Formats: sequence, C-alpha cells, structure tokens
Amino acid sequence: MDCYTANWNPLGDSAFYRKYELYSMDWDLKEELRDCLVAAAPYGGPIGLQSAPSCWTVLCQDRVAHILLAVGPDLYLLDHAACSAVTPPGLAPGVSSFLQMAVSFTYRHLALFTDTGYIWMGTASLKEKLCEFNCNIRAPPKQMVWCSRPRSKERAVVVAWERRLMVVGDAPESIQFVLDEDSYLVPELDGVRIFSRSTHEFLHEVPAASEEIFKIASMAPGALLLEAQKEYEKESQKADEYLREIQELGQLTQAVQQCIEAAGHEHQPDMQKSLLRAASFGKCFLDRFPPDSFVHMCQDLRVLNAVRDYHIGIPLTYSQYKQLTIQVLLDRLVLRRLYPLAIQICEYLRLPEVQGVSRILAHWACYKVQQKDVSDEDVARAINQKLGDTPGVSYSDIAARAYGCGRTELAIKLLEYEPRSGEQVPLLLKMKRSKLALSKAIESGDTDLVFTVLLHLKNELNRGDFFMTLRNQPMALSLYRQFCKHQELETLKDLYNQDDNHQELGSFHIRASYAAEERIEGRVAALQTAADAFYKAKNEFAAKATEDQMRLLRLQRRLEDELGGQFLDLSLHDTVTTLILGGHNKRAEQLARDFRIPDKRLWWLKLTALADLEDWEELEKFSKSKKSPIGYLPFVEICMKQHNKYEAKKYASRVGPEQKVKALLLVGDVAQAADVAIEHRNEAELSLVLSHCTGATDGATADKIQRARAQAQKK
Amino acid sequence: MAFPHRPDAPELPDFSMLKRLARDQLIYLLEQLPGKKDLFIEADLMSPLDRIANVSILKQHEVDKLYKVENKPALSSNEQLCFLVRPRIKNMRYIASLVNADKLAGRTRKYKVIFSPQKFYACEMVLEEEGIYGDVSCDEWAFSLLPLDVDLLSMELPEFFRDYFLEGDQRWINTVAQALHLLSTLYGPFPNCYGIGRCAKMAYELWRNLEEEEDGETKGRRPEIGHIFLLDRDVDFVTALCSQVVYEGLVDDTFRIKCGSVDFGPEVTSSDKSLKVLLNAEDKVFNEIRNEHFSNVFGFLSQKARNLQAQYDRRRGMDIKQMKNFVSQELKGLKQEHRLLNIGACESIMKKKTKQDFQELIKTEHALLEGFNIRESTSYIEEHIDRQVSPIESLRLMCLLSITENGLIPKDYRSLKTQYLQSYGPEHLLTFSNLRRAGLLTEQAPGDTLTAVESKVSKLVTDKAAGKITDAFSSLAKRSNFRAISKKLNLIPRVDGEYDLKVPRDMAYVFGGAYVPLSCRIIEQVLERRSWQGLDEVVRLLNCSDFAFTDMTKEDKASSESLRLILVVFLGGCTFSEISALRFLGREKGYRFIFLTTAVTNSARLMEAMSEVKA
Repeated sequence: MDCYTANWNPLGDSAFYRKYELYSMDWDLKEELRDCLVAAAPYGGPIGLQSAPSCWTVLCQDRVAHILLAVGPDLYLLDHAACSAVTPPGLAPGVSSFLQMAVSFTYRHLALFTDTGYIWMGTASLKEKLCEFNCNIRAPPKQMVWCSRPRSKERAVVVAWERRLMVVGDAPESIQFVLDEDSYLVPELDGVRIFSRSTHEFLHEVPAASEEIFKIASMAPGALLLEAQKEYEKESQKADEYLREIQELGQLTQAVQQCIEAAGHEHQPDMQKSLLRAASFGKCFLDRFPPDSFVHMCQDLRVLNAVRDYHIGIPLTYSQYKQLTIQVLLDRLVLRRLYPLAIQICEYLRLPEVQGVSRILAHWACYKVQQKDVSDEDVARAINQKLGDTPGVSYSDIAARAYGCGRTELAIKLLEYEPRSGEQVPLLLKMKRSKLALSKAIESGDTDLVFTVLLHLKNELNRGDFFMTLRNQPMALSLYRQFCKHQELETLKDLYNQDDNHQELGSFHIRASYAAEERIEGRVAALQTAADAFYKAKNEFAAKATEDQMRLLRLQRRLEDELGGQFLDLSLHDTVTTLILGGHNKRAEQLARDFRIPDKRLWWLKLTALADLEDWEELEKFSKSKKSPIGYLPFVEICMKQHNKYEAKKYASRVGPEQKVKALLLVGDVAQAADVAIEHRNEAELSLVLSHCTGATDGATADKIQRARAQAQKK
Repeated sequence: MAFPHRPDAPELPDFSMLKRLARDQLIYLLEQLPGKKDLFIEADLMSPLDRIANVSILKQHEVDKLYKVENKPALSSNEQLCFLVRPRIKNMRYIASLVNADKLAGRTRKYKVIFSPQKFYACEMVLEEEGIYGDVSCDEWAFSLLPLDVDLLSMELPEFFRDYFLEGDQRWINTVAQALHLLSTLYGPFPNCYGIGRCAKMAYELWRNLEEEEDGETKGRRPEIGHIFLLDRDVDFVTALCSQVVYEGLVDDTFRIKCGSVDFGPEVTSSDKSLKVLLNAEDKVFNEIRNEHFSNVFGFLSQKARNLQAQYDRRRGMDIKQMKNFVSQELKGLKQEHRLLNIGACESIMKKKTKQDFQELIKTEHALLEGFNIRESTSYIEEHIDRQVSPIESLRLMCLLSITENGLIPKDYRSLKTQYLQSYGPEHLLTFSNLRRAGLLTEQAPGDTLTAVESKVSKLVTDKAAGKITDAFSSLAKRSNFRAISKKLNLIPRVDGEYDLKVPRDMAYVFGGAYVPLSCRIIEQVLERRSWQGLDEVVRLLNCSDFAFTDMTKEDKASSESLRLILVVFLGGCTFSEISALRFLGREKGYRFIFLTTAVTNSARLMEAMSEVKA
C-alpha cells in the first residue's frame, strides 16, 4: 500500500493520470496486431480481431452494393446485413491468398489474381467461370483492370507490374508490353487508358469494322472498297475491278457502312479521312443510300478531333462520346471555361439556341460576373453585348450569380436587361431592394407579385416608411387598401391619416357610424369625427350633411322615447312620413321646419301620407292651407290611385290650365276634357282626348272634336 | 321583322369547346379528392356552374350534398368538404371559421378549396393568418369564359367594375389577359388589335407578354377571328346609363337576366308559379325579337299567335291522323308556349313601360342626351327624388345629367345631393363620394383649377410609367366632354319626321332613334379606318390620348371570312343594347361581332355597384 500512487503521473499542478491493467491476457495469434483489423465497442464492449484483408472490391448486383473481401485463402461477400463466405467456381487449388481483384466497367465481370500467379476470370455474381490463366508471376501486380468493349464477346484483363504490362484472356498465350516508366491504368468503357510521366496511350480490342477492313488480306467489302478508292485515286482501272467485285456480291451498302463505322474508331485524322473518302466514293454507286450516317460521322469526328487536340486534352473515343452525349461534353467544356470552342461546336452542330449557344453564353456570363477586377459597368455592358436578346437567356439567373459573388450593383444592372419584370422581383427582394422590386412588380401587372412585395416591405420597413412607399405607388396603394378594407380596418384608417386624406377618413367614420357602432352615443361620436374630417377636407357639404344626421339621430332617439315605434335609421323623409302616419302632424311640421325641408318635398310627402291614411278631410284642409307648389294634378292622381273618384274630382277643378285636360281625363270626364281642349285649341290635347274616346258613350264627344279640328283647319 | 343575316355573313367559331374544357377541368379537380364529399358553392358561382355541369354530373363524381356558401355554420357531416368559391377574403374567413370549429370539436376532415377563376395571394395569406393554411388544399378552376350565347362570352365577374373603376384594384386584369390568351390558343391569333382605355391597354400588354412567353404555340395557325377590340367601360358611361328599349335589354332592365336565363314571375306566366327560361339564339321566337325595339314586339307576337291559331284550326278541319303530323303539332305547341311566355313578358313590360311615367322618363333622357331643357330635366330629377320613386333610378338620372353636362353646376350638385340624402338616408354620402371618384357624378369646376388639374394629368400621361400606374383619383380630373364628342361623332341623328323603328337606319334605333351608342360608334369608326387615324380629337376628348392603340400583323394568313369576324371585349361590362346595336351594324356591313364581357350589365347594376348600403 505504500506506493499506491506510484503509477500516478502529474500533468500540471493539479491533475494526475494513471494507467492500470484490466486483464492480463495474450492473444493466441500468429500475426502481429498490425496485420489485423481491430474493431472494439465502447462501454466495455467486446473486441474483435480479424486479419487484414489482402484485397477487396465493391460489387454491384441488382442495385445493391456488396463488398468482396479476400482474407487469406477465403473470400467473403458482405452486404448491409450479412457476411457469407463464397468460392469462385473452378478456382485452381493451392491458393493461399488473393493479391488483386478487378471488376469490369459494366460491373458484370470479376477477375482475381492469386499468390500463385493464377488469374481467375468470371462473372461478378461468382456463379460462372469464364476462363483462367496462369502467368507464373508471383509478384503482386500493381494494378489489374478489365479491358473490354461494348457488344464484344472477348474478355481480357490487363495486369500491370512495375515494368511489365500483360493482356490475358481466354487464350493460352498472353500479350506482353514493356513499361518504360511508372504507369497508371484507367479502365474505360471500351478499353484502358495508360498514362505515365511522358505518354498517354490507349489499349483496346480492335473494333470489328476496323478489323474487317484492315486485317491483312481481308476480303471484307469495306476492305475492298478502301482498296478501290485508293486505286481510283491512282487512276488505275483496278478500282473498277474491286468495285465490281463488291457489287457482284451485293455488298456495297455494307462496305460503305463498314468504312463509315471504321472511320469513327480511328484516332488519326488522316486515316479517318481516307476511310470517309472510301465511303463517299462507294456511296456514288448507290441509289438511295441515306446520307445521315455519313454526315453525322463527319460532324462527330470533327467535334472529336477538336476536343482531342492536346490544347484541350479530352481524348474521347467515338463510343465514349456517344455514351457521354454532346450535352455532357459541352458541360465539360463549359466547366473548363472553353466557351468559344463550346459555342463553335453548338453552332457547327446547329443545336437549338436554348440548349446550345444561349446556355453557354449564360454560363459564360455567370463566370464573367466573378471577374472582380472589371468594373460593374464594363461587365454589364460586355454581357449585354454578347447576349443581347438571345432567347432562353435568363438575365435574372446571371444577376443571381452576381449577387452570390457579392456584386449587388452589378446584379441590379443586369436585371435591367431582363425583359420579364416579374422575373426580377424575387432577386430584388433577396437583395433587399424592396422598393425597386415594388416598381418592377407593378410593371409586371401581376397583382399577386405586388402583394408579395408589399408584405415584404411591411415587415422590412417601419410603418411610417411603409406608408410613404405606398403613397408613391398608387396601384399598390389601391391593392393594399382593398385588402385592409376586408382584413385590417385599423390599418386603413392609419393609411388615410398618414396621407392626410380627410375625405376618405370622413367616409371611414361615416361607415363606422352604422356598421361598427351600436350605441347611439358611439354613433354620434363617429359622425362628429367624420364631420371634423370633412371640414378639414374642405368638404362643407358633407360636413353639414353629417351634422344634420347627428341631429336627426338624436331626435329620432327622442321620438322613440316619447312616441314609441321605430324611428332610428329612417331617412329624414321617412321620419316625417312616419310622424304623419302616426297622426303627429305638429311634430312633423316642426321637424320639416327644423331641417328646412323644401316645400315641394313636404307637399309630396304629406299628400302621399294622407292619401295612404285615406284621411280625405285632412287632405282637403291641407290642400287649402296655401297654394300648392306642386300643382293639383298630383292630388287627382293620388286620389284615383286610391280609387276615390269623388275626391279626385274636387281637385280636378283646381288643376291649372296646362294640365286640366290630363286631370279631367284621369277622373274620366271625357266630355269636359274635350271642351277644355277645344277651348285651348291645342292639337296634342285634342288627340289625347280622342284616344280616350272609347265605346258608344263618347261618340258624341269624338264628333265634337273632329268638328273643332275641321274648323281650326278652315281658319 | 327580325332581319336575317346576310348570306355572306361569316360563320361563328364553336365556343362550346370552352364549356367542355371547363367541365373536364372541374371533374378533374373533384376527382383529386377521391370519395364522397360535400360541395359548398358560392352563390355567384351557382348559375355559371349550372351552365357547365349539372347536379347529376357532380353526383357522378361523388359529390354528396350541395350547400351554398353563406354565413352560417355548416350542417354537413361528411368527412370531406370541398369549397368552390371566388377568391374573396370573406370566403376565406368563412372557411376558416368552419375549419377552426372542427378543430375545437376535435374533429378532423379533409378540406379542399377550389378558387375560380384563380387564387390570389391575399386569400392564401388570410388562410395562413387564420392558422388553417396547412389544413386545406388549394386548387384553381380556371373557368373564366362562359359562352352565354353563340356570340356572347361572359367572364361573370360583375365585381370587375367596382374593383377596377372605383377602387383602382387591378387584380382582375391578369384574369382578362389569361382569358384572351386561352381564346387565342383555341381560335388562332388575332391579326388586328385595337383598344381604348387604360385597362384595355394594360390587359392587352399583359396578354402580349403571355403570348411571348409561350410563343410557338399559336405561330403558323390560321386566325379564325380577324379583329379584336378592347374597350373600357369608362370610355362610355352614357350608353350604359340609358334606359334600354330593345326587347332583350328591356327584359334585363325589368326582370334581370341572370347568366343567360330569367325567372318569370306569376304576373308573366299567368299561373301561380315562376318559370326559369333560358334566353338565347336557340329559342327561335326570342331570337327573332331580341334585337327589336319593344314597340314592335307586341304586335309581332300577337300576329304570330294569331297565325298559329289559324293554322291549328285548319288542321282540325283536315283531320289527318298521321303520327308525323301529331309530333309536329306537339312540337309547335311547345313553341307556342314559349311565344305565349314572351307575350306574357311583353304585356307585363308594356304595362310598366307605356305608363305616362316611363314615357316622361324617356323624354327626359333624350333631352339630356341632346342637351336641351336642362333646367326642366333637373326639376324632373328633383321631383323624382322627392317622390321617392326609386333610389337607383334617381341616381342614374343624376349621373346621366352630370356626364352629359360635364358635371353639375355647384348649386344643383348640392341641392340634388341634399334632396337625395333626405329621401334615402345619410349613408349615401359615401355613394356620392364613390360616384365622384369614378367620375360618374361630379361638380363643374371653375375654369382655372380645371386647367391646372388637366395640365397635371397630361404631365402624368406623358410620363412613360403612367401607362401602368392607375391613380385612383385621376378620374376626378376627367371631363366627360360628352357634348363635344357627340357632335364630333354625330351621335344624335337628325331626323325629319318620325324615326321608323320597324326599319332602322342606324344604331340609334336601340334608343328609339334618339342616340347612337358612343361605344358602338367608336368601334364602327375604328373598324372603318382600320386604325385610330383621324380620330385624334375624339380620343383626346375621351381622355384616352395615351390609351388608344392599334396593332396589326400581316394579314396574309387570315381568310377574308375571318377578317369579318370581330371580337369586342368590354372591360367593366356591356349592355344588351350595345350588343343589339353591334349586331345591327354587323348585318349592315357584313361583319359578325362576338362579344366578350366581364359581365352583362345595365344601368341598375352599375348604380348598385357604386351604392353604399347598410349591411
């Protein structure tokens, strides 16, 4: 116990650290720990040891990724759930370790290199062996890759050691190359690229068309055609012989096709040319050979040769190019900022502008905006000069990029070129140029867009500034007012206040006086506020009318209290009418005086009300109170309306001369009407009376009128 | 009677496709909510919907019960609710109240809102504010064109008038542009475009933008319709404010035609029930009389009825019992019913309209149009108000007086308003404020201030951006200049003797020979000139110097037939009188007009749109 702290080690002044043994144990292993993979779980969990795999690779089957792992003589297949041991079928015995494995470009095939110098080639599913080869080299290879070609049945693997390259396949022999330098292999779709410090080479299986044509002593139609063309150029008659030979076999079409196809697989432009020349020559002897394949091949080769140039350095083969598609190639060129070449290719292939030139120009512009050493003006001008109104170019996208680079001013300049104002808005908002965004939204005519900006502004600015902005944009203001009318009445009031728009404020309070307020005091107060506003708006008419309404409201309230019944909210006219109908004539007259109801209205009103009451006595008294300002014809009319001919007649006699005939006709006194009309010698009146003469009773009257007319004409 | 079309009149395009499109889209939207659902329909949309898809079609697509959207709690017990509404804020609040009530009750249902013709951001925002944006799914039913008749398309957006011309709210303009875009996609491009009015110009420009964004689609198509003419309602308020006297207009004024059909009450059907009747070109008798001055109609109908009766009697005598005859008689009988119905309507109208009052009203209107006896007309209007004849009619007459006279003189302006407030209540202070803002009822301003405002306005107009900005108050400064325009365009025909309404000479017949509708005259003049050339003075007087435009494209692809088809677009509504007048013009000149309007309107609808009513 004395030295219990002996294994305490101080770190600094206040802390100690110690280390003690948990278990004393010994792993019963042949290998050293450094040759193993160690996996240990925390919280005192278990420890696992596994000797390190000699090699491994990823397999892909049925869209699931597996890992193939080689540990000593065993192979394991791992997926997300399980680990199972596998044995490749037909594997030669005596393998104690796998040194390399390779999966083909298509993930269909697998090759294994063992420590015995033996190579197993089979399917990636490990269900079938394709072939095997023993190279007798036990040194572990640096690299092993598949070398295959689409649609080819040949399988071959390229194995590289320090200074040696070997191609092995389903054959007893292998091909061997010497490597002069350290090299690296890149498997491709249709072969293997090999590059070193000073060279870049391509190893592949010779494609069928090329093989047919160039194989020594080949009699394939393509070979003959190539030969024929060569002879033709030499102006030798052998050309004709070769051609005849092909034609006799009926293989000219095939020959042309072969030459075209082979041209695609040649790397040297000279060879491409002679093959295409041969194809072109052969085509002359064919009717109706569709020109597309030839034309497209010429175009494709021109593009390929351009990108293969060492300045560009994209050594695509024809098959790779077709697999890649022109769009992807263009993207790669754009990424390398090879804009002029990309544009030339687009123009040469006549790609539609939206996919081609415009897109590349847009990319160029996006790059251009990142050139910080050039001034905003210059960049914007340069971009606009190049892009102009090219269809499919979105200036707002370019501007977004400029903004992304922190060049807000440039972005705004670029947005100016955007023809669709609606497109400018989202970016302007992002750049916090909300006011500019508002004008642009208004220009676009899209009210939803305007509204979006408005809400932005509302959150961004304080209320006063927000209102000021609205003030300068009547269209947005109307829109916002409409919204407030339905959703935010108080804001509406504030808006009017801000604008000193007293007229609208007055209207606002008027509406409140009957829509929002219930109590009479509240209503009167609202009206008072309205009247004040109207005075400020110099609208005296409205102010006076509002004050009258306040008086009327109070009065109606009093009437309700004193007389009972419903008076509130009646118009002045209806209030007076109600009073008369209730028999409160004094009150009615008082009210009429107080509110200066014009005589004419009062007479109409009383007349109608009394007739409704059928109070004929009162009506007569009223009619005699003074000379009627509306004449007496209305009296006649209203009595007749109540079917009281007796009363009507009383008034008919008092009707003025101009309307006498009408009045008499109304009460049905045709004869007297005729007399008056004749007396007036008024043609229109005579016709009117005549049109009322119906039946036998009025016969005499009608005659009388006719006579009077005749007399008048004589005179 | 009933002038037939000239034999060379061009065929109208088939607009029934629009109905099919709308129906298919609606069905698609309903199917998006599979299973049984209850459908809540906004009242305004019921009639248009009825013309597109009837109840049985809705039932086929699993609509269980139909409800009207109104401010009442929903009784529906369905698990899925679908709302078919106009994009209005009050609808959003209604839906929110339903959803929130369900939430409180711990109930979960599926809600779908279908906006017609489009949704607005403001609506979605209200849904969000009410906290239910995540609970409902939103869709658009782009149903913006309803063919009411073979030559009449309506957007059924009566609120367009108030929203734009009073509130300065431009949200519907985009809808118009979309509708025009749809038409040009379906019926080919329009080689010639004309327009007048601020809204017309905006709609036109938006529409053009849409076409450019989607170009290629209509390129190379042969145009079916040669001309399109866009016209703002505020270019001509006068015509819309006049009493209508052609039959269809009169039926609209009297009974209110709603979405192409009318409800005839018991006084018309001479039975105790009401009857809903579709009024369009398919009704042969109606088609013959719709464009006639009403004084001709009654005689025509009685003659028809008498002929028919005579024919009937003869048949009985002949005693032929063939099935064929029976069927044809049966069919005739059906037709007769229609005839009788029209007679009933006509009688009812005659009863109302031949009364002394109506004749005096017409007389006053004519006096206002011609500009004589202004004092007398003013007293007539005053009496009209004093007697509480009709609030809407009085208002209409006041507006007519104001527009024809370039505003009321200050004394009349005050006294008429005072009288009106006394008759109909103080809330109409707001009505007057609205009318003033819309330029319908104004006060004559003293000379100097007017020129000041005018110069300000002209400055605004020369400002390039002004083409897109609506100043809600700019109309304040607008003078109607009706008298000068009337003289320039010869709107009041000089008549020696009686105007023969049976054989109309010009478009004035739609107003008893007293007045050629201004809107129609403008269209006639521009079509004659194929441009606004020579009409500069008129355009200036209309305050539209910057808003009159022509756009012609090469006509090589347009057939001569299509060049005689003209689409007239009325922004803010058109009246049946205008339609009749242009139909007449078409017959005279060998054109055919197609009408596209935001809604069919008349004077009463315009006035109601401007009126404040106590809720």
